[in-house]
Amino acid sequence: MKRAFLLEMTIFRDYARQLVGLGLLVSLCIGLGIQTPIAMPATLTCMFFMMSAMGLAAYDQLNHWELFRLTLPLSRRDVVLGRYAAIVTFGLLGMVVGIVAAVAATAVVSAVGLPGEVGEAFAFDPDMLSVMAVVTCLTLLIGAVVASIVTPLYFRLGQTRATQILPTVIVLLLVVPVAVLGNSGMLDGGIPGMELVSAALEALDTPAGMAVGCVVLVALSAVALAISAAVSLKLYEQREL
Amino acid sequence: MSGSLIEARGLTKHYDAFSLEGVDLTVNEGEVVGFIGQNGAGKSTTIKALLGLFPTDGGASSVLGVPSDELSRASGATTKEQVGVVFDAISLPEHLKVADVGRIYERAYATWDAHRFERLTAEFGLDAMKTVKSLSRGMGMKLSLACALAHDARLLVLDEATAGLDPMARDEVLDLLRDFVAEPGRAILMSSHITSDLERIADRIVCIDAGRIIFDLPKDVITDETGVARCRVADLEKIADSGVVPDAELRYLRHDYGIDVLVPDRFAFAESFPEIPVDRMTIDDYMTLTLKGGVR
Repeated sequence: MKRAFLLEMTIFRDYARQLVGLGLLVSLCIGLGIQTPIAMPATLTCMFFMMSAMGLAAYDQLNHWELFRLTLPLSRRDVVLGRYAAIVTFGLLGMVVGIVAAVAATAVVSAVGLPGEVGEAFAFDPDMLSVMAVVTCLTLLIGAVVASIVTPLYFRLGQTRATQILPTVIVLLLVVPVAVLGNSGMLDGGIPGMELVSAALEALDTPAGMAVGCVVLVALSAVALAISAAVSLKLYEQREL
Repeated sequence: MSGSLIEARGLTKHYDAFSLEGVDLTVNEGEVVGFIGQNGAGKSTTIKALLGLFPTDGGASSVLGVPSDELSRASGATTKEQVGVVFDAISLPEHLKVADVGRIYERAYATWDAHRFERLTAEFGLDAMKTVKSLSRGMGMKLSLACALAHDARLLVLDEATAGLDPMARDEVLDLLRDFVAEPGRAILMSSHITSDLERIADRIVCIDAGRIIFDLPKDVITDETGVARCRVADLEKIADSGVVPDAELRYLRHDYGIDVLVPDRFAFAESFPEIPVDRMTIDDYMTLTLKGGVR
């Protein structure tokens, strides 16, 4: 698996550099737009998870690389696990870059002493760090779930075909259940488990709650990726290249 | 199996519009096997099946003693350390630079020889900073060959690897391949439409058509023993009646100015029919007469 992982990192390196530059710009714009640096690592984490899952799959189809790769001393299992390891690595890289960028932006704003709302929003506040951690972990979960949905499809169908059917899959997974449940009257008495969600959100107001929240979000991300990897292994094993 | 680097028996694969039908193929140590056939005959499909790139529907094949279907599994993947593969077009992401390609292979192969790769790319005139996208087809093939030759492989599987190379580059590559196979324990399976290359390097020629092996002969039998008799139409009956060419082997091709007849032993034929000119057979002629020639 290590070989496959290193191959992915080598292939994606140049694109990752571009993504870092683009991501920094986008996250800074979002941070300034909503007047908080909290969004910066959150944006980059989510973006890197999704972009690495999609970008790596796109490279598979260039010059039949996907087919040729299996003539190298790699198994299909290596390829799948290497892909997930690369997605996680790039996702975490986005998180680190985002945190560094947010801290740097805060430091610059504090040092320069910008007046007005932007200056206030970007002023250093220790409480901001814990909120930033929770929001970042939440976007980690979003990015991981998206990567977990698209990657098995890419392994089964290839990037071109998978991209054609992805909108349908997303509608089926996310929109249809809400529409069906909403119109069925099943939710008239309220969404089941909403009390639990409300209690969890309230718990996030405490430092201990935030720490537990972060752990739960990271754990859920890991579970989503692990399930996705298991599905991908099964699908890619039978794929005719 | 002893001495065979590739062994296929009854390899079968069905698609909607095409099937491999019981392909038998062997590549022994020290051999260069030329694999020929028309476009769509099944050469690339056979090669991909041998490399375990897709499951087959029947038969069995092995590469370096490992069943092909194990090659993409953890149990057989390391065997591919000893196999160098070149497809008919460069098969690497196009944004990579030549130096990046070396890095990719260095990470993939434990036996990667970076110095040899640098030497080969320099010999081929490949600039380390050029991207795969900017390489011409010929330069791309040179890069693929440099990769295949730089990890101490025992077996080379080349699918149209000399396509796109200019004549001088082909000479250079054929010399490298000759040197490669001169080392003990090595072999090459080489599919090609450039049969003149195979005439210079191959030991055996295997021809496939419509998914079936049509012939599997030592190259010298084709080029040194067989011949093409350039006859008039009236000569065909005379040749057939003489029994010099057994009926089952009598293949002919009509054209505007006469008829070409495949002659299994051109020296014996020349003795029997001194008035009919007999040319040395080329692999192209042999394939054309076998695949398209009429049978009495």
